Amino acid sequence: MTTTFPATGTGLRDRCAELFCADLAPMLRRLGARDKGAGARAVLHPDDAATREGVWAALADLGAFGDQRQRDLVDLAELAGWALYQSPLTDSWFAAELLTATGDPAYAPILRDLAGGATALAVAMRERPGDEPTEPGPLHRHEHGTVDAIRSVVAFAPDAGHLLLVGTDGGRTLLAVVPATGPGVTLRRHDDIARGDLYTVTVTHGEVVGAVHDITDQYAAALARARLRHAAYLAGSARGAIEVAAQRLRERTAFGQPLARMQALAYRFAALAARTAAVLSSVRAGALAADEGADVRLTGAQVLLLAGVLAQEAAAECVHVHGAHGMTEAGDAQLFYRRAVVDAAWLGRTPSLRREAGRLLAHSRIPPR
Amino acid sequence: MTTAFRDDVRTLLEEDSVRSTVADIAAYPPGTEVALLDVYRRLGERGWLAPGWPVEYGGLGLGAVENAIVTEELTRAGIPDDVHVLCVDLVGMFLLHAGTAEQKARHLPALARGERLATVLFSEPEAGSDLAALRTTARRDGTGWRLRGSKIYNLKSQYGDFALCAARTTDSPVAMHGITLFLLPLRAPGVHIEPVPGMANDRFNLVVIDDVRLDDADVVGEPDNGWQLLNDMLQLERTGIDFHAKARRLLDQTIDRAAEQGLLDDPEWAGRLAELDATLRAGHALAWEQVNALAGGHPDPVTSAMAKWYTSEQIRPILNAGTELAGLGAALSAWDGTTDDDGTWEAALRMGPSHRLASGTSEVMLFLIATNGLGLL
Repeated sequence: MTTTFPATGTGLRDRCAELFCADLAPMLRRLGARDKGAGARAVLHPDDAATREGVWAALADLGAFGDQRQRDLVDLAELAGWALYQSPLTDSWFAAELLTATGDPAYAPILRDLAGGATALAVAMRERPGDEPTEPGPLHRHEHGTVDAIRSVVAFAPDAGHLLLVGTDGGRTLLAVVPATGPGVTLRRHDDIARGDLYTVTVTHGEVVGAVHDITDQYAAALARARLRHAAYLAGSARGAIEVAAQRLRERTAFGQPLARMQALAYRFAALAARTAAVLSSVRAGALAADEGADVRLTGAQVLLLAGVLAQEAAAECVHVHGAHGMTEAGDAQLFYRRAVVDAAWLGRTPSLRREAGRLLAHSRIPPR
Repeated sequence: MTTAFRDDVRTLLEEDSVRSTVADIAAYPPGTEVALLDVYRRLGERGWLAPGWPVEYGGLGLGAVENAIVTEELTRAGIPDDVHVLCVDLVGMFLLHAGTAEQKARHLPALARGERLATVLFSEPEAGSDLAALRTTARRDGTGWRLRGSKIYNLKSQYGDFALCAARTTDSPVAMHGITLFLLPLRAPGVHIEPVPGMANDRFNLVVIDDVRLDDADVVGEPDNGWQLLNDMLQLERTGIDFHAKARRLLDQTIDRAAEQGLLDDPEWAGRLAELDATLRAGHALAWEQVNALAGGHPDPVTSAMAKWYTSEQIRPILNAGTELAGLGAALSAWDGTTDDDGTWEAALRMGPSHRLASGTSEVMLFLIATNGLGLL
């Protein structure tokens, strides 16, 4: 049974629904997962690598990287989240937006390759794992046009053709693009709770594609739109976790009856489902506003704040109703739980988002008469 | 089109005479409450009180979107919307969808003009959320019916002309079967209305129906099919728009108070209010998706239950935040005469619990979501 959520049905979502369907979701959820404690040298299984490439190419064929409205992208992000599909999808959208904002023709081939599914992109912002994307790490420019930077928790760096180094220098926010396999670039895989694809990137005299751009005036707006899309992903993952939990409640019998008959459990997930529906509605409203050119910085911070908390809570409750079985690798509940730790903080931690939203709310309101 | 309609309604509600009415309401003495305000008539004469109704019944032939706009604008202007909800969103909507041509012609134009007040008589002393347990009976009497029973917790019945009343017409082992809806004249012999003292400004009523005779022409919908009709119609009411509008007004007041106290510069307070604002925005978006689904002819009972639950749940944390900001000032009523907000916050606190109870309790909404949405229970 599929949970009832508000119908959307935009074109891109409809086209991608066959890819992110109930039959394929269990496979997509585990795609690229490494063994626990596999460490820096863990490699992707060849079958997973081929499947990843196939899914990425399918997404490109379906138009995921074309000139899409935010309203379409949030729908697709929600579907990807529902399937718990780990990929460079949302970061590639963010990267494409940053590249486009510069107007640098040197990026045209990169954007063309992305649209065709021939490449992915990674956004590298944080110097340390605990840093916030609103405060990118330092970027050092050399006189001869190369750059130095250290970036941690960069997603899918080996899959990316190029790395977008977002950094600060002299109080300005800069963007430098370097080839992921270029000279002076080294990658080291993190071993993280999601067992996914997070890397430390060390760039020493990295050769820059095009120019180093000052994106101070564009970065906050692009981040806000990325947050809308990521919130959609998180709310989608909450929806997925709720559905996995509901399935468990229907199948598992305890105390002589299905767990589904227990009101305390049923109401808990009903409340989570309603919160998920509300967050998704807010995401869609924000995306429409963004498409109309509105400033969505406050909205972006707010929906991500709600979505991050929701995704973690839904995942934790999903594990809980599975009992100890939920902590085993036999089921998918633990996947939602482990990945929510990373995904919820990806574009801003809860306390930071709350502070940022508070600051934006105070600045946005009309002074009281 | 909808923007122009909202602008027109807002312009009317910002006129001095309307503002004066709002100020007067705040100063009503204890025991006095809003009935048919002049502003309703002014909206009604333009077709704006029920804009979604056909022109022949006093509307503008528009739709659910315009109905929702009126609800939002009334609340934004501080005009109590209970009478509007009762007359237009509930009784009027039932008649519009299930009434006979004669019932529509007799009642809808007057409701749409703001000249007649209708209420609902559903809850009973032993049947609240569990409406199938109602004990009011309607027995056949020749070509008509005789009603006996008691209805409680209804609002505005002391001012009402007639009420939509649920009564059991057939005893059945299936409790949902055998309920019929009637139009009950509230001034008919045998209808006794008594106040039930409560903490909110609007009084609860106990309506005792003592052998009141009604005709077949007073039946709304098919006899014995009232349960289905109630479920279908109440679903249309549950967009969450009205609950969100009330919550938004309260949060805006709270944010204003925080700004006056310089607390928007306090990251903790600003963050807390921004999070409340985020939930309200989410509720607003969800509520409007329900309105648009209604307008498009494809309402969904599960998501409308989600919208009602989510929007009404926001009011408690907002009241908590505003009360913390106001301190003991929040406890002073309009009748104290020294408050800086005409006692509106104190009144809102007394009204607070009603939002999670009205239009189906939070638990009923969760039941609908769990059963029909998640396949549980």
